[in-house]
Order: sequence, then C-alpha cells, then structure tokens
Amino acid sequence: MNRNWAYVAIAGILEIFWAMGLKYSDNILAWAATLFLIYLSFVVLIRATKEVPVATAYAVFTGIGTAGTVVIDMIVFGEPFSWTKIFFILLLLIGVLGLKLVTTESANKEGAV
Amino acid sequence: MGWFFLIIAGAFEIVGVIGMNLINKYGNLKSYIILFIGFFLSFGSLALAMKTLPMGLSYAVWTGIGTVGGTIVGMLFYKEPKDWKRISFIGIILASVIGLKLTS
Repeated sequence: MNRNWAYVAIAGILEIFWAMGLKYSDNILAWAATLFLIYLSFVVLIRATKEVPVATAYAVFTGIGTAGTVVIDMIVFGEPFSWTKIFFILLLLIGVLGLKLVTTESANKEGAV
Repeated sequence: MGWFFLIIAGAFEIVGVIGMNLINKYGNLKSYIILFIGFFLSFGSLALAMKTLPMGLSYAVWTGIGTVGGTIVGMLFYKEPKDWKRISFIGIILASVIGLKLTS
C-alpha cells in the first residue's frame, strides 16, 4: 500500500513540473520536456491505481499538483505570501493524510492488500 | 461560451478518469485511447474556457467537476469504497484545491 501512495506522490510532484512547463515553455525543447513529464506522471499515477482506488489517487494527485504549484509560485516566482494559501495547503494535507489512513483501513476490511 | 467550454472540459475529464478505471480493469489499447482522448479534449476545452473566464475560477470549477464526477463514477460502476470518511476527505482535498485556485 505504501509503495502505491509513494507513486501517487511522485505523480503529483511530476505534475508540479509539467504545470510550470505549460506556463513557462517558450521553445520546442521545453514543450517536448513538458509533454514527456505529462506522460510520465500519468504512467506513475496509473501504476498507483493498481492498489489505490482511482478517484482517491486522482484527488490526491490534483491536490499535490495544485499545492506544489502555489508553493513554487511563492518561493521561486515571487507571488505574494498569504496566510490564506498556507491555511488551504494545511487543510489539503489533512485531507490527503486522512484519505491515506481510511484507505488502508477499508482495504484491510475487504481483505485486499 | 466560456462556461459551455468549461462544462465540456469537466465532462471530458470524467471520461479521462473512466479511462483510468478501464486501464485497471482491462488494460487494453481501447482503455488507453479513452484516457488519452478524454484528457486531451479536456485540456483543450479548458484552454478555450480560459480565454474568456478567469484562470483560477476555470481551474477550480474544472477540478471540481472532475473530482466529484470521478468519485461518483468510481462508486457507482467500479466498486470503490462508499464510506463517508473517504468521501469527506476527498471533499476536504477538493475544498482546499478550489480555495487555493480562487485565492492565487
């Protein structure tokens, strides 16, 4: 189970990079790299859904991508810092961790891995 | 017209998520084609929607339709767990994503 959650996290982190790619690519090489990252993130995400329910994995994937993009925008690209953003990021972490906990529970109940 | 494209984008995102379910179940070429077409048309329509609607709003609505739709489809057709704790946590993630997109 943990390995598959690691895959979801990796897919989400790759999403942060391709989301930046979609925003900042200005030459053919950057676009090619962006497309490759999109491909790679989906390969890893699909691998994760062998054990984690698809909708669960997809929600976490989108969440990591969004939060990561907001953090990178603040740290690297000088977007303004705000406590509202930090609040939503913490809320998101609660959602992801909670979802991970109850997913393991329900999988055990059904006798799955 | 922006809202029309946005709803189409959300609908195709659900198609993409269905593709993901199909890949798990059958793993055949058809499943991969459904996934690809779903997300391709979804991103395309989202880009069109963003021409007239604000980016944060568009992305928030798009994610909302896709996540809620994907969860419902998963529970109805792919035997995903229906317990309220799972649904609540998906709801919390969704609320955070929408909040981040609307405030950034």
